Amino acid sequence: MRRIIAPIVALVVVGAGLATFFVLRRSPEPITSTYFLMDTVLTIKTTGGNAAAINEQLHVLASNVDSMTSYYKSESETVRVNAAAGKGPVSVSPEYEALLKAAVGVEAIDHGRTFDIAISPVSSLWGFTTKTFRVPEAKEISSTLAYSHSDQLVLSDTTVQLRDSRARIDLGGVAKGYSLDVMEAYLRTVEPQPRQVIVDFGGNLLLYSGGRKHDWKIGIRDPRGQGIIGYVRSGDVFVATSGDYQRYFERGGKRYCHIIDPTTGYPGTLNQSTTVITTIQPMHGALGDALGKVFFCSTAETQRSLFHTVQGQGVTGIVIVDAAGARSTLGPITLVPTVVQ
Amino acid sequence: MKRSDRITALVILAAVALVAVFWIVVHRTSGTMAVIHVDGRVIATVSLTSREPQTLHITGVLGPLVILADGKGSVRVTKATCRDQICVHTIPARSPGDQIICVPNHMVMTIEGKRTGIDALAQ
Repeated sequence: MRRIIAPIVALVVVGAGLATFFVLRRSPEPITSTYFLMDTVLTIKTTGGNAAAINEQLHVLASNVDSMTSYYKSESETVRVNAAAGKGPVSVSPEYEALLKAAVGVEAIDHGRTFDIAISPVSSLWGFTTKTFRVPEAKEISSTLAYSHSDQLVLSDTTVQLRDSRARIDLGGVAKGYSLDVMEAYLRTVEPQPRQVIVDFGGNLLLYSGGRKHDWKIGIRDPRGQGIIGYVRSGDVFVATSGDYQRYFERGGKRYCHIIDPTTGYPGTLNQSTTVITTIQPMHGALGDALGKVFFCSTAETQRSLFHTVQGQGVTGIVIVDAAGARSTLGPITLVPTVVQ
Repeated sequence: MKRSDRITALVILAAVALVAVFWIVVHRTSGTMAVIHVDGRVIATVSLTSREPQTLHITGVLGPLVILADGKGSVRVTKATCRDQICVHTIPARSPGDQIICVPNHMVMTIEGKRTGIDALAQ
């Protein structure tokens, strides 16, 4: 009997020892950096490679996008375009022009009904640009809406013009997603390659594992409760969420969120959150960011038909929590619900 | 007991100890706590396993914030020197990974503890 036990015990000892060894050396410790920009938090978690230097460089890239697109910073191209509204064309950088065209391209998917970069005069009425919130009169909203659509925008190859002197554009709806595009392009070229990079830019994610094809578990935030409603598994992707639960104000027991429906001029009320997952391709970070608003301001029926349109363009799936809190998905993804705690 | 029996017993004990160590390393857990950062530096931690309510007065970039741990495992920001009050609106944090953020004050409060099993949170 003892002759059998001894080798088994020896095997267990060696096995446990080896397992412990491999768990401990499996991967280098990640380096997490937190930055504040674009009125939100940028958190970067990098494992492997020159992690600290990568985090710094990604922050610089995001800051550059902020300096180019900011609605507030005096040197930004957006501020220059807005300042020249009604006066004449402004020459802009090729990069800015490309981002504007991408944003206008998303608007075209739904004829500007659910996403419009020129809606900002209406957002300002509600106080979302100044943070002095109020519920505007219906008359104010309809008169402001008249000049708050992208048909105010005249794009040539190198210039941008706003026809009406009161028209304004705001790229806040694509700037975070576009930053993720710029970061991903940099990550692809950096040597040595990091094992994994998770970029969380105000809840918009870039999940990068290079050629490793990591199987990510992406938690979907519960828009009304604590924690998550479940998770989705995916390879490397961009993930953009539009929700009514972070930036909003309340008057008379009613919630007014920061996403303005460009058709009505009122905050969107059809959904609590919409999460758009897009493949890693150029401009798909910006695409997902903008599509988040499109789906947020759409009914379930429109969401289904819109998904048909965008499915072939790099959108892998959408997670929707509607106004009643009902959860659904579009596309070949599965929302694995969390066990009730 | 023979000498070889003792050796076998010792080896089994050692094996059990090693397996236990392995188990602990893999399922390492720490008590749930809220870690408060201002400008990327940890300035305070609050245990969420304590039954006593705790009030914390911290200073952000703009001014004071008041943080309340309710003694039932949740923590929230009750007062903040900022215009948008997003942090005060945020639902109390209790699960590992939950965050409450005050951007104007450069304050990030994160719940740490047993891993939730997800890589990133879409929100």
